Amino acid sequence: MNNKYESNKWQEVINWVQKRSLFMLHYCTGCGAIELPPTMTSRYDMSRFGIGPAATPRQADILLITGYLSTKTLRRVIYTYEQMQDPKFVMGFGSCTINGGMYWDSYNTIKQLDKYIPVDLYIAGCMPRPEAILEGFLKLKEKIETGNADGYKKYNKEYETYKKNQEKVLGEVKRRQ
Amino acid sequence: MRSENELIELLNRDLNLLSVKKLRKQNISIRLENEELVSGLNYLKSHSYIHLATISCVDWIEDNQFELIYHLFSYEDKISLSVKTKINRQKSRFVTIKNLWGVAKYYERDIHDFFGIKFTGNDNMDELILENWNEIPPMRKDFKTRQYVDKKYDWRQYHGQE
Repeated sequence: MNNKYESNKWQEVINWVQKRSLFMLHYCTGCGAIELPPTMTSRYDMSRFGIGPAATPRQADILLITGYLSTKTLRRVIYTYEQMQDPKFVMGFGSCTINGGMYWDSYNTIKQLDKYIPVDLYIAGCMPRPEAILEGFLKLKEKIETGNADGYKKYNKEYETYKKNQEKVLGEVKRRQ
Repeated sequence: MRSENELIELLNRDLNLLSVKKLRKQNISIRLENEELVSGLNYLKSHSYIHLATISCVDWIEDNQFELIYHLFSYEDKISLSVKTKINRQKSRFVTIKNLWGVAKYYERDIHDFFGIKFTGNDNMDELILENWNEIPPMRKDFKTRQYVDKKYDWRQYHGQE
């Protein structure tokens, strides 16, 4: 196990259990939201991989950012992310979260999601199809099992950097915790 | 139920139109003076044009003017009517129509967000869509989008990119 953070046998068991039961909160900001109903329901049926939708941030493990984020929604995403309990994972959907995508020169959408919250996995595409999303989930499960999905630890460790980036685009961010 | 030509005839008779255009079937646009806009809308509202779909705005920077367009619809005539007027760009102030259509106060706040036009009589001009915006309004033609984006956001760097 080549993990830069401390790990032991007990952690391995926890990871093994963790990856078999994941609940995702899909934050439907962009067009990616439309790919999720077929992924969730009988056509692609993601529950066969042990992944299900969650109702609130506090009950979720995965935060899906489905597409572009305007600065106004980024503020809400940060609130949502900080409400979630550890361990938590973030998946960025589509090119908009990677480099701005088709909103690359928009005055009001962010260009790189991982500057503001830690992203464990990106799914490229505009938009990624359900097959790609399932592939992404399987990759994430792999990363959880090997202990590499450690974005939330990074967020706690490099909190000041993230906070500085967030405040550069948003002004003051009121923390609710 | 009036046809397009009957409606144009009626408007020509009762309103002081600067111009009138039949754009296509069921779609007419008219232009009014600033001062006559509110009374014109009032007249139209009492002649079955009861639906205000939206208010839009165009920045004619070379003419130093903003154009406000009120989109009306009649359920009886089945005609969309755009009522246009031009206002001074420097002054960027107009009168509210929230007494005619209550919903207009939100459309006016929206226009204030993106074009910086103030509406006399509509006091609540808080930001509706934008948040913490302190540049010039983003939909004005003299707003330099690229410059702003370069300043505010960082581009992702790729290997091999110059």
